[in-house]
Amino acid sequence: MIASGHTHRASRTVAGLVAAGLLLTGCASPAESPTIEGPVTGGTLTYASGDAEPTCLDPHVGGNYPQALVSTQYLESLVSRDADGKIIPWLADSWTESADGLDWEFTLADGVSFTDGTPLDASAVQANIAHLQDPKTGSSTGYLALQKVTGTEAVAPNVVRLTLGEPDSALLESLSQPWLAIESKQALARSQEENCAAPVGTGPFQVKTWVKQDSITLVRNDGYSSPPADAAHSGPAYLDSIVWRFIPDSASRYAALQSGDVDVIDNAQPDTIVQTEKGDSIRHLDAPRPGASNRIELNSGRAPFNDPLVREAFIRSANVDDAVASLFQGTATRSYAALSSAESLAVPRPELFGYEPKDAGTLLDSAGWTKRDAGGYRVKDGVRLTVTFPVSTNQSIPAEQSLFEQIQATAKKTGFEVRLVPMDLSSWYTALGENNYDAVSAPYTKVGPDVLRILFHSAGIVPAPSGYFANHAQVNDPAIDALLTEAGQVTDASKRKALYTDAQNQVLEGYYILPLYDQQNHFLLGAKVTGARALPTVSTPTFYDAWLK
Amino acid sequence: MSDLEIQAGLGRSARAPRPAHPPRRGRRPRIGVAETLSGLFALFLVAAALAPALVAPGDPLGIDPLSAFQAPSLVHGFGTDESGRDIFTRVVHGTGSSLLIGTLATLIGLGLGLVLGTLAGMLGPVVDFTVNRLLEVLFAFPGLLLALLFILVFGPGVASATVAVGLATAPGYARIIRAQLVSVRSSAFVEAATVLGLGRGRILARHILPNTLAPLFVLGTLGIGQAIVWASALSYLGLGATPPAAEWGAMLSAGRTYIGSAWWMSFFPGLFIVLAAVSATALGRGIDRRLRHA
Repeated sequence: MIASGHTHRASRTVAGLVAAGLLLTGCASPAESPTIEGPVTGGTLTYASGDAEPTCLDPHVGGNYPQALVSTQYLESLVSRDADGKIIPWLADSWTESADGLDWEFTLADGVSFTDGTPLDASAVQANIAHLQDPKTGSSTGYLALQKVTGTEAVAPNVVRLTLGEPDSALLESLSQPWLAIESKQALARSQEENCAAPVGTGPFQVKTWVKQDSITLVRNDGYSSPPADAAHSGPAYLDSIVWRFIPDSASRYAALQSGDVDVIDNAQPDTIVQTEKGDSIRHLDAPRPGASNRIELNSGRAPFNDPLVREAFIRSANVDDAVASLFQGTATRSYAALSSAESLAVPRPELFGYEPKDAGTLLDSAGWTKRDAGGYRVKDGVRLTVTFPVSTNQSIPAEQSLFEQIQATAKKTGFEVRLVPMDLSSWYTALGENNYDAVSAPYTKVGPDVLRILFHSAGIVPAPSGYFANHAQVNDPAIDALLTEAGQVTDASKRKALYTDAQNQVLEGYYILPLYDQQNHFLLGAKVTGARALPTVSTPTFYDAWLK
Repeated sequence: MSDLEIQAGLGRSARAPRPAHPPRRGRRPRIGVAETLSGLFALFLVAAALAPALVAPGDPLGIDPLSAFQAPSLVHGFGTDESGRDIFTRVVHGTGSSLLIGTLATLIGLGLGLVLGTLAGMLGPVVDFTVNRLLEVLFAFPGLLLALLFILVFGPGVASATVAVGLATAPGYARIIRAQLVSVRSSAFVEAATVLGLGRGRILARHILPNTLAPLFVLGTLGIGQAIVWASALSYLGLGATPPAAEWGAMLSAGRTYIGSAWWMSFFPGLFIVLAAVSATALGRGIDRRLRHA
């Protein structure tokens, strides 16, 4: 480590001297100053993530956004999505669906191999589905997305058939996600520990080393041949390597970008975004995540939020608009929907989520919370109206944590005691698993409106093999279940839309969630970085087309 | 304040306190400018701690989103934070908890130090040896690390941060108290008392402890400054007071995020941590000098 540090410093000094030399030549003869036009091969891009460092680099295991961010660089999925939301070929060239919607056949791209040399074939896809569905893998995101898949079959070496127990209108959207990426069969056969340390895929980069608590080094896959249909070039990537670092503190992360120590940062703070938009050296890439909006879920499975009146009172007592305006400084727009604005089927209902402290008080009165204690909080039968709100400091940027503090302050006026409990990611998962929360804000990213089934179908109260359950509001309503089940099966677009609209209306009118804004996904790119973009699937950045000026 | 400086500070005060017998008579040192200013600031802090509402009548938790991120002005002397809360009000209301944590932690440290030091200094070579080895083990950990270990086991929060800082400072105090006891024990007036046939307990209570406690007061005053810094450090790391509590370390930590665009959010809480520590130290030194010339 020390040696490499010295080399870095030395090479930076040399680079500085060369740059100074170029500047001098430039001054002497401006006509001959070098201008870089096309993409340049080579160089190392340093990425600094504010998300938690994954505990496993294989996104099959668990399946969260930090894993998706990094694995997008070395793993690929069967299909992708273009900027218009249309599903496009990736590792699968083409696919067909049977008339009853129960059989899907995928024809795989020719001549693609994993970075361990094994070929991409039907058996590899089968092994991946089996791996995701194996409870021992501990998958949650991929596992939930494949719930309807009952069997797989290699029809030909390059054709794989998926058999479904019931039609799945979201199958292609699900398969486009990084959590369902296809890995080498041979690599999956290794122990979970080995596979977590260095998963093997078909992507433009491959994992070289992972120094825990420090960085992941990815190097170019020189044999790369499978860019998605909307990539800007073909053949191997331009960059030699990517160093993936973790800098949890947002101020340090931004300082590292400004000083040129890193080239790209994620989870940019609103004030720094506003700052960079005034200058022109740092570019801002705004890529809201698909799936659910960022929202506060109210646990309807236990008191006090098992009473719809109390849920509505809480929502009416929270001044979200002013908080979003002051804290996000125009970088986020208030949401009134269960789905992200990136989803065309989102149904916003602004009239349900206004700040009405008076109405909130009346609602609490009629719910029996009539008295107030010395602290000014409402009391019923000697119990204080307390809302326990665990906050994952890894998933919420400081501006969002401040937003929760403001909600805490405005809800206090109505008589709610909101207890914000900051925790690291694993303690937060534990608190949720133990049902020890009344309110929580958990981002959930999924391609397409099927995320509604994951978040609001009563089946989502049952934990996935990883122990995670997604229905944090603990919505348990047969009518909503029926709508979501049917919507997940129909292929007719207008019918699907009507069902999802109905379901969203019922969820919003039940006051199970308080929508805040789209899941914020802001990247800042240093002046040197060109050609980076966010994949239109779950908005993770891809550096396949990227090069350094 | 780095660990080295803290150790150095303790080291110096270890040399400074001396047995009051035999008394030396000299001119009392004059009260300097630094001591006067420190005294005034300490008085302000005590006033802010006892009656924060008189010093700053606002609500430290009262938000006003639409006046967020305002620079210091006549309306908001120290500016406002990301939720439009007045920083001056928060700093004043945070004084109480910072001073309380600092004082309690020092008392815990001194109390433990007194017990361990007395055991080592009075109960003969075997106990002395055992306690000394224990102290050496504890000294092997930097104080803040010891505090972090304690919090790791007992969970974060104001109470555990207070105890943690107290525990972390105890070994230093114990060692000083032991040295003090040993030197007092071997002084002529204790020998005289022994020769006169006084009991062990009486000698300890009437002759040894009183001569040890005066320097302890100096140590305590010096220690409060240090304890405030450490407690703020723990809150800064999110292990003490949690947001939105008005506590200096927690405020400093919240302001860090916006340090590029709103320097006042971290500057003023930081300034108060520094001034509180400096004034406690200056006062401690002043008292120390006066005791030596008493």
